Amino acid sequence: MKEPRIDRRIFLRGVGGVAAGITATSLTGCGTGTSRSAGAAAGGGGGKKTIVVRNSGGTYGDANLKAIYEPFTKETGITVKVVNIEYAQMLAQIKQGRPQFDVIDDSMADFVLFGKENALQKLDQDRLKNFKGAGIANNLVTPYAIGKNYWASVMAYRTDAFGGKTPQSWADFWDTKTFSGNRSLQSQDADLPELEFALLADGVPMDKLYPIDVDRAFKSLDRIKGSVKKYWDTGALPGVLLGRKEVVASSVWHGRLDALIKQGQPLAYQWNGARRQSNGWGIPNGAANTDAAYQLIDFSLRPSVQAHFATLYPMGPVVPAAYKQLPASVSANLASSPEHLKSGFDLDVDWWIKNQDAVIKRWRGWARG
Amino acid sequence: MAGSVLAPVPASTAPAAKSRVRRSLRSRRTRSGLLNGAPIVVYMLVLFVYPILSTLFLSVKGVHGGLTLHWYADALSGANLAVLLTTLRISAETSLISVVIGFLLAYAVSRLRPLWAGLVMLIIVVPHFISALVRTYGWIILLGDHGVVNSVLVDLHVPGAPFQLLYNEIGVIIGTTSVMLPYTVLLLYAVMRGVDRRLLAAAASMGAGRLVMFRRVYLPLVAPGLVNATVLSFILCLGYYLTPALMGGARQTVVAALIDDEVMKQNQWNGAAALGVILLVLTFAGLSLLRLARAIGASARQRGAA
Repeated sequence: MKEPRIDRRIFLRGVGGVAAGITATSLTGCGTGTSRSAGAAAGGGGGKKTIVVRNSGGTYGDANLKAIYEPFTKETGITVKVVNIEYAQMLAQIKQGRPQFDVIDDSMADFVLFGKENALQKLDQDRLKNFKGAGIANNLVTPYAIGKNYWASVMAYRTDAFGGKTPQSWADFWDTKTFSGNRSLQSQDADLPELEFALLADGVPMDKLYPIDVDRAFKSLDRIKGSVKKYWDTGALPGVLLGRKEVVASSVWHGRLDALIKQGQPLAYQWNGARRQSNGWGIPNGAANTDAAYQLIDFSLRPSVQAHFATLYPMGPVVPAAYKQLPASVSANLASSPEHLKSGFDLDVDWWIKNQDAVIKRWRGWARG
Repeated sequence: MAGSVLAPVPASTAPAAKSRVRRSLRSRRTRSGLLNGAPIVVYMLVLFVYPILSTLFLSVKGVHGGLTLHWYADALSGANLAVLLTTLRISAETSLISVVIGFLLAYAVSRLRPLWAGLVMLIIVVPHFISALVRTYGWIILLGDHGVVNSVLVDLHVPGAPFQLLYNEIGVIIGTTSVMLPYTVLLLYAVMRGVDRRLLAAAASMGAGRLVMFRRVYLPLVAPGLVNATVLSFILCLGYYLTPALMGGARQTVVAALIDDEVMKQNQWNGAAALGVILLVLTFAGLSLLRLARAIGASARQRGAA
């Protein structure tokens, strides 16, 4: 369901992507030119404008099509085409000078990496009518990118496992005496290790998480290690483990259990201590259709469009006004609702970009030891 | 050939060899053979020999150029060495268990009527066509704490049940063994079908008991198949990745997973290349072990004949 995760993985793979990027450039370079010119020819021939968007596809892509691209085409007459390529390939195309896409929908972390590679245009916020006064969080507005939709890693548990008690925090998750049973946490194969949860469990307040005290986090992880049955490496696994009673509590990408809960499985999310991340927009250097790219970004930031998207896909609006147009039942299930903004925290992309190599290496050794 | 190594070249050998080559080139059979072989040779050179050589080169290339054994030292020390030993242990356990079970299965099948034998072989092989991912999720349903196996054991009041059969080495071994089983069964079945039953009858007629018949007649006849099956499943296991990742825990990390990790996450191609070369060497070691076993078997047979 949460396809954005996939490009997170690829981003992790592509990190530093120098060597990989260079090899990819030489491989994909040839293909790029032709597809771009083919697209341009098709767009020019019909006398109609076309814009090419990169997203991660899947159900996330479908929701984007329905909530953003189709209404956008109806209003502006600009046709939206989609490509689903990954970080390394995008970077290779941009470096080659003629990317086949005009605007990128990707994780905010990827935009930091793109920024370091000088692959993106500086965003001119004056060209975004709906940006001014929209109240988008500061950490989602960078020189190169602007936030689009929130997602979150949250705690999930079996409601039938603790005799009516409810784990309220990561400290409860760590407390295997009161809340006995096996646990599952995310493996570094899936996304950034969950050091923040370990710190919250150890009593660090939510606003003092960064810079992460890595030693303290691992010491805290040591305490839960004996109860962790499996470190999940794919988004679907927490649902399987919880559903089969292999574990009674797990971290999970929010939204992944929705289908199981609808089927009546006794599962629930705990939003306290949720780790938020966001997708965003960016415009690559060499984009053929910058104007249309700004138009599309601007369109997507309308409160009504943001709200529409949230009803189709469980990712939260970045524009607070969108919540006025959402029924309470929908907002209760979104990472950026007013309550969840308080009960969770934002992942510090900059800290992780700086430290992830060392942390992941340590995490791997720790898990195997 | 040897002439070029020995200092005083006997004048006649080199031209003789050359003319022999020329003569054989002139024969039509050689020419058409070379012509037919050329595409596959080019194919192998481009897609097999070149990548392997470049992997070899990558594994000894230093960060700032130059040659180094640093990556091998890294691969053979600390946590990486532990992963390598885990891989070897899992492969050895898997190949032994799958050969033992495969032997019993293949023996049973070889005693069946052809129709039944075909049916049983189908049952053994068909699960192989199902996607590994689906099969592995099937194992979760079977082997989980509340899975079929543990539920039955608990209902039967087996002491100690439920057992943890997943996310540890037991889980991995169960998974990899099931993957290797079709290979060992097929291999052993073919060998067992080739055994001349009259030899057993002859042994029986000379008064050999069942055990002696099995040990002195049957086992030596199927021994080559046993060795082949063991080595084959060991080698296949060395590079196996999916099942240990899905059915094991963090402690059951295998070399293939480590390579994936180094390439995909850490962008560390040199270290991954070194690990790959080590796996390749281990595979070759397995194959030469096979050779050795065959040679010993052959010489033993010769001695027996003499």
